[in-house]
Amino acid sequence: MKMLTCSRLSSFLGILPQKMLIQGILLLVFGVISLSIQGQNLHTKEAIVIQENPAINLAATQLPSQVTVPKKSSWVNNAFDWYQKKSMQGDFQIHGFIGQSYILSSHNNVFGHSTSGAGGSFGLTEAGLNASFRPLPKLLISAQVLSRRAGEGSSGMPRLDFAFLDYRLYSHEANQFGIRAGRLKNPFGFYNDTRDVPFTRPSILLPQSIYFDRTRNLALSGDSVQLYADVGHSRWGTFSTQVGLLFPIVSDRDTERAVLVFPNMHGHLTREVSYIGRGIYETNDKRIRLGVSGIWLNSNYDPPVGEKILGLPITSGSLQFSPVYFSAQYNSERWSLTGEYAIRHFAYSGFHHDTIDKTNFFGESFYVQGEYRITPKWETFIRYDVMFTDRSDKNGKNWVLQDPDHLKGFEHSRYAKDFTVGLRWNVTPEFMVRAEYHHVNGTGWISRLDNPLLNQTEKNWDLFAIQASYRF
Amino acid sequence: MNRFVSSFFFPIRYLLFFLSTNSFFIHCVLLIIFLFSISQVRADNHYEVVTNKGVGENKLSANSLRSIFSMHLKTWSDGTKIRVFVFPDDDQLHQVFSKEKLNVFPYQLRSTWDRLVFSGTGQAPIKVNSVEEMLEKVTNTPGSIGYLWRANINENVNVLEIK
Repeated sequence: MKMLTCSRLSSFLGILPQKMLIQGILLLVFGVISLSIQGQNLHTKEAIVIQENPAINLAATQLPSQVTVPKKSSWVNNAFDWYQKKSMQGDFQIHGFIGQSYILSSHNNVFGHSTSGAGGSFGLTEAGLNASFRPLPKLLISAQVLSRRAGEGSSGMPRLDFAFLDYRLYSHEANQFGIRAGRLKNPFGFYNDTRDVPFTRPSILLPQSIYFDRTRNLALSGDSVQLYADVGHSRWGTFSTQVGLLFPIVSDRDTERAVLVFPNMHGHLTREVSYIGRGIYETNDKRIRLGVSGIWLNSNYDPPVGEKILGLPITSGSLQFSPVYFSAQYNSERWSLTGEYAIRHFAYSGFHHDTIDKTNFFGESFYVQGEYRITPKWETFIRYDVMFTDRSDKNGKNWVLQDPDHLKGFEHSRYAKDFTVGLRWNVTPEFMVRAEYHHVNGTGWISRLDNPLLNQTEKNWDLFAIQASYRF
Repeated sequence: MNRFVSSFFFPIRYLLFFLSTNSFFIHCVLLIIFLFSISQVRADNHYEVVTNKGVGENKLSANSLRSIFSMHLKTWSDGTKIRVFVFPDDDQLHQVFSKEKLNVFPYQLRSTWDRLVFSGTGQAPIKVNSVEEMLEKVTNTPGSIGYLWRANINENVNVLEIK
C-alpha cells in the first residue's frame, strides 16, 4: 500500500515541470512530519537515558518502597492501610468522570432551552463515580452512581446506575464463563453499556437513531441476571456473549411520554420480565468487530379509572418493545469505520380498544460513521444517521391520516436524518474537549418533554455542541 | 535505542529524496531502503514480558497474553489473581508492546478497559509512570505481570516466554 502511494505520488510529481514547487511542498511536508515527531523524540531520549543506567534502577529497587511511619493501632489506620494496600495492588479501584456540554440549536430544544433565541443551553451535565473490588480471584463487586442533568427528562438527581456481583465460573486461557447478578447495564450495540461516559463515545450526542436519549432510562440498565461467555481461538478471534433476564426501569416521565404513543394516556407503566442478549465477534487484532444484540422488553400499562382514549374506554394492557441491532466496525491505526442497524418492533395488546390494539409497527434506524485519528491528540469524525419511527410509513403520511386536523404538517416528527461532523482534542489522557455540528432533517428523536408543543417544532434544523470532560 | 530514533527519521529522508529525483533506478533502491527501515522499527525486540517471582508460569500463549492485557483473563492457571501493570498510553514501550506483542493498537486497549470499568464488568490495569516503578511493582506485587526494556530487567523478576 505504501509502495503504491509513493510511486503514484512520485509519478504525479514527475509530470509537473516546476521543480521549485515540488521542493517547496516537500519542505513543507518534511517540516510538518519532523514537528510531529519531535514530541515522540523527546520521549525516546528519556527512555534511552533510563535504559543506559541500569545501576540507577537497581539502586531504586533496593530503596524501601514506602516510607514507614510509626502508627497508632486504631481501626481507622487499619482500614486506611487495607485500602492503600488493596488499591496499590489494583484490587480496589475508584474511577469517575464529569462532562459539561453547551448546546445551541437553530430550532427544537435538545437538553433544555437550547435554541438560539434562548442563547443556547448548558443543560447537559454528566457525572459518574464508580468503585470496584475483587475480594476473591474470581469474584468482582462493582457499583456506579450516575448524575445526569439533561433538559426536562433528567434532573441531575444521582441514581444507582449499576451495582452487581460478577463470579467467574470457568476460566482457561482466552475462554471465560461467568455469571452476573444485580443492577446491570443493558448490553446492546457497541455503545450502550458506557453511553454516559463522554470518553467512551464517539460524539457528544450518540447517534440518536439507535441510542435514543428519550427512552434512555428504559434502555440503560435494569435489575438483571446475566450469563456471559468469551470463547477465544488463537487464529479466528474471540466470540463474546451475554444473555440475561431483566426487569427494565420504566418509571420515568420521558420514557412514558415516548412509549405511550396516544395522547392523554395518564396511567403508569409497570415492569415485567424481559430478556436481553448480545454476541460480539472480534478478530484477535480487534480490527474487525461484528455484533448482534436483541431485547425483548415487556411492560404493562395501568390506566386510571375511567380513562378514555379517542373517546373509547380502555383496560390494562401490555406493551412490547423488541429491537434487534446489528453492529459492525473496522479499525485501523488511524481510521475506524462503524455502522449499526436496528429494526425495532413495537406492539400494544390486550387493551380491549380497537385502535390501540392495532398498534403494531416496526421502526428502523441506521448510521454510518468514520473516525480519523489525525494524531493521538486530535480526532475527527463524520456521520450520517437515519431513523424512521414506522418503516412502513417513512415520510409520516399515514400517521397524519389518523388525525389530519391536528397532525397535518408534522410528518417530520416520524423520522430524522442527521448529518454530523466533529472534532475532538485529547488535551491529556484525562481531559478532553470537543465540538460537533449537526444538520438534521426531521424531529423523530427529539424529547417530547423538552418540546411539548408539536407546532413549535421545525423540520430542518441545525445543532452545534461543545463539551469538556475529565475522567480519572 | 538510537537505532529506533534514527529509523524514524531515515525513512522520511529517503522518501523525500526519492520523490525529488527522477531516476527510476534511484527510486527503486530508495524505496527498498525505505521499506526495509520500516521493517526494522517493527523488529525492535529489546523488551520482555515480566512477572513476579512467585508466578508459576514461565510460558504463555499470545492469546492468553492478549486476554490478560485486555483484562479478561483474571487468574493464573493455579487460581491466583493476575495483577496487570502498564505504562501510560502514550509511552513508547507501551505502544511497541501493544502493537507487537498483543497485535492491537493502544487506543483499542484503552477503549476495551474503559468499557469494562464504566460498565462495571471489569477493572483497569494499574498504571505506572516509570521503568523503576514498573520493576518495583512487579517485584513486590504477588501475581503481577508487566513489560520492561531488557536492559532494565534484573533477577528479581521472571521473564515470560510468549509462544
